[in-house]
Amino acid sequence: MTSTAPETRTRTHAESRAERLPEIALVDLLDRLLGTGVVLAGDVVISLAGVDLVQVRLHALITSIRSDMVEPR
Amino acid sequence: MTETGRYLYAIARGLDPQALTDVPALAGGHLEVVEHRGLGAVVSSVDLDEYGEEGLRRNLENLPWLEEVARGHDTVVQATATQAPTAPLRLATICLDDDGVRERLDAWHDALEQVLDRVEGRMEWSVKVYARPRPAPAAEATRPAASGAAYLQRKKAETEARQADESSTAMIADEVHESLAARSVAGRRLPPQDPRLTGRSERMLHNGAYLVEVDEGVAFSALVDELATAHPEVVIEVHGPWPPYSFATLEQT
Repeated sequence: MTSTAPETRTRTHAESRAERLPEIALVDLLDRLLGTGVVLAGDVVISLAGVDLVQVRLHALITSIRSDMVEPR
Repeated sequence: MTETGRYLYAIARGLDPQALTDVPALAGGHLEVVEHRGLGAVVSSVDLDEYGEEGLRRNLENLPWLEEVARGHDTVVQATATQAPTAPLRLATICLDDDGVRERLDAWHDALEQVLDRVEGRMEWSVKVYARPRPAPAAEATRPAASGAAYLQRKKAETEARQADESSTAMIADEVHESLAARSVAGRRLPPQDPRLTGRSERMLHNGAYLVEVDEGVAFSALVDELATAHPEVVIEVHGPWPPYSFATLEQT
């Protein structure tokens, strides 16, 4: 006879806090990581302040998508 | 010998550095928290050949590299955000050493405190509105036109119908945004994503980000469901909760 172990359904507080949040689609993540978020400008930071991020992003993504397309137009 | 720098993932307040010991850092490194004036910067060491200015310019064009770093960055931000109020940093913010990190924390201290006050106890939700594909033309429209004038008239009617359709779906998107913004702490409209990036045929009408109290998440997604039922002409999707990426910009303070 099998019995369900109720303790396996119980999570400790620490475990539930460490739980992963729902995964973000890559396109949404890049929208945010390249377009928003804190920018700590300053000469100590190497950072990407001078790079046109939107262009870099679209170029990288579209280049990759085009190369996957069977019939590029 | 290759030089290393300190990659910054996020700034948090009241973060226990022990809480991140099992979280993987980029490039096989390990996470540390650099503390200064009540703020903690989550950092790890990276190789400057790969993450220096020149390396970044090259690597950001490389989609697999970009994806791996974006995912790695997000993993750390998410782990931090479940522990303490967190301001995620933009991808690839690198200081030469811990003194550089502390200098940044010092220079931006008040603005960072304001950002942390704004996002504390709140999460980001994404709501997108897509136009439903237009129904196929009626049988009559596919029949050959009786005359040139009839043909032109039909074309004109089709154009007018499409324009009316586009303006009414744009109004729905505005209405959805207003309803959601009224029920959240803050709302932003991000640029709609290109269909080549979403991989979907429907046109994106609205790409919204909303800052919502942790306790209000269920009510917020219920409101999105209500709006979706009220507007069957469009597709409305909700995703979240995510760390408050879109609301951690210092420019807004």
